[in-house]
Amino acid sequence: MKKRILSTILSAVLLISVILTGCGNKSAGEVTKENRDESSVDTIRWITMSSGEEGKETKSEKLMEEFEKETGIKVEAEYYSFSDLFDVIETKSVAKSTDYDVMLIDVTYVSKYAENGYITPLDDYFTDDEKAEFDNASYTAGVWDDQMFAASRNTSTQLLFFNQKLLDEAGMEAPTSTPEDRLTYEEVAELGRQALEKLDPDGSRGLIGFDFQQASRVYQMNMLPNSMGGKNINDDGLSLDGVINTEPWEKSMTWYQSLVNDGIASKGYSTEEVEAQFQSGNMVFMIGGTWTPSNMAVDDEVGCTYAPCFEGYEDTVATGTGSWYVGISSQSKSKENAAKFVKFLTLGSGNDLWLEMNEDVPSRNEKLQEIIDNPEADEMLKMAAYEAKNTAFPRASTPLFGEYSSILDQMWEDVRNGADVNKSIDSAIKQFDSAAAAYK
Amino acid sequence: MGEIRLKNKWLPYILVAPMLILICVFKIYPIIDSVIVSFRPAGEWSFAGYINLFKDSTFWNSFWVTMKINLVMIPVQVIIAFIMALIVNVNIKGIKLFRTLFYLPFCISLTISTLIWETMLNLNSGVVNSILGVFGIEAQGFLIDTKWAWLAVILIASWRGCAYWMMFFLAGLKNIDTAIYESAKIDGAGFLKTLFGITIPLIKNTTFFVLIANTTANFLLFAPIQMATEGGPQGSTNVLMYEAYKSAFRYSNQPRAAAITTILLVIIMSITIVQNQVINKKER
Repeated sequence: MKKRILSTILSAVLLISVILTGCGNKSAGEVTKENRDESSVDTIRWITMSSGEEGKETKSEKLMEEFEKETGIKVEAEYYSFSDLFDVIETKSVAKSTDYDVMLIDVTYVSKYAENGYITPLDDYFTDDEKAEFDNASYTAGVWDDQMFAASRNTSTQLLFFNQKLLDEAGMEAPTSTPEDRLTYEEVAELGRQALEKLDPDGSRGLIGFDFQQASRVYQMNMLPNSMGGKNINDDGLSLDGVINTEPWEKSMTWYQSLVNDGIASKGYSTEEVEAQFQSGNMVFMIGGTWTPSNMAVDDEVGCTYAPCFEGYEDTVATGTGSWYVGISSQSKSKENAAKFVKFLTLGSGNDLWLEMNEDVPSRNEKLQEIIDNPEADEMLKMAAYEAKNTAFPRASTPLFGEYSSILDQMWEDVRNGADVNKSIDSAIKQFDSAAAAYK
Repeated sequence: MGEIRLKNKWLPYILVAPMLILICVFKIYPIIDSVIVSFRPAGEWSFAGYINLFKDSTFWNSFWVTMKINLVMIPVQVIIAFIMALIVNVNIKGIKLFRTLFYLPFCISLTISTLIWETMLNLNSGVVNSILGVFGIEAQGFLIDTKWAWLAVILIASWRGCAYWMMFFLAGLKNIDTAIYESAKIDGAGFLKTLFGITIPLIKNTTFFVLIANTTANFLLFAPIQMATEGGPQGSTNVLMYEAYKSAFRYSNQPRAAAITTILLVIIMSITIVQNQVINKKER
């Protein structure tokens, strides 16, 4: 009798707990959904990038505060690292998640996300006059299938940055150059070597002579073969054969490998760690974006000059370009409010604030012209505006940019770690051909 | 003991139901869905996904890398876990402290332990290279050199894995009647004879379980590759799980990812069946 009562009670408890768990989850979901519907007028959710407490999160928070002051619409952000952001967008979009409205999109992924239906067209929210405010290249990169899918927050370019404090310590003068008379990569490498000899002859300080802010990422590394006249991909966007197995690629990659082997550029650091070395005052020269000075972690004075060229290739200077765009999730329940936020970030006062905080190169015609016309404009921004207009080399245009960057990033990293250049190139061509097979 | 008769014949099913439901929802359904997706690459039933996959040299590289890493890692983990269990099975004062210390690595999540090892094995600032430097040995690129990277992955996974499997072996050893050992001692059996003649045969079932579970876990290993090597250098650690992840999240190619995970499922099932056959054959 006692056992029967006990077993009945036990069974009942188990059943009730399972039912409550299911109902509890369902209720929470319904409550959440109701809140989203009810409060969607007042709150939108933004997926964006973070680089730590002192970095992009703080700047994003300022933007959200300003937007709320102007419109009364609250923005809540989810922050992810550069690497994780792509995975998160992919996961949420495939799952048709409704828990976010606006997302930060890398320019190279606009076509893919538009093709896959992850983002909604913006033509209903931007007038023709507003679209014309963007510079042509920046506007076009946000268009797919004749529809505007994402708006440019800013563009980017590359300059040669140097740590003035380290140069002073080494007793070396800061380099200068003009667009017509640039430093060569070979000269910068030699300066880096000289600085290391004076500052860190035995390597105990762990200083780096000359490196790339985004080592082993196509965004920056491809400017090396581009600067020798090399292309990024075939015209059909589906093949690398005849493009990366050409002299510009082989020569530039061999040069870069020698830079690493000679101990001037770093090895063994991840892309984020390389940038952190310059921010911490442990690198003398770095090819980087205009956000570099604002992200320094130490008080070292940072100078810059125009991007270098290769010796004998002074007429084919190329700099990496393109940046972050803002789009609206196709599953968003608050598209109107999301569109207001997108316009705030890309054309409105939010964009002015962002450019001021992050010192990025504008993608608005008005702002670019302001810089060029202003004799008192910051020298770095003037150089950046020049490079953005004259030497910017767009990244590969392909529906397979995910595969392209994954394969070529690995290729650059392998070469950095000492792999045979030609074998690495051949392997990359093979891998990309396999990936593209389904599209041919 | 006689057969226990339950007055409520449905009670066992009710008690097992919650777990069964969870397994169906979170394990069985996703597996079936994944298999279906792999056979519908363009929305229609076809083998095209698998045909493209088998023509892809990247897939075959991942296949061989997976087999190579597991052919080394599985025996290493099983043997080391068994040795650790033998060590902590002795009855001496303070042995519980050592059991705790040996088990501690498993208390750290795989993500954190990967981060710790990544830092320790770093070419420029890792403590391992610092120690090597004391002995005049040049710094090694443990995570960026093709000859070391796959071994580093095995080290990271095994540092934690051996602690876990040790506990299963320890439980198996505790189940052996000590009277058998005493009899063997009286008969003059030494350590090795006892080990191979008594201990190992008597924990056969435990060994079988550890082998199967370890094989499954290691074939699905992902975190150390994703965090420490990203499949490199030169694809030397690009295991099938990581290739499936890239297909799903970098290339947005769900059918390809599903095909790879289905193949992984077939591989694990095949190995499990073979292991089962070998062990049962020995038993007969």
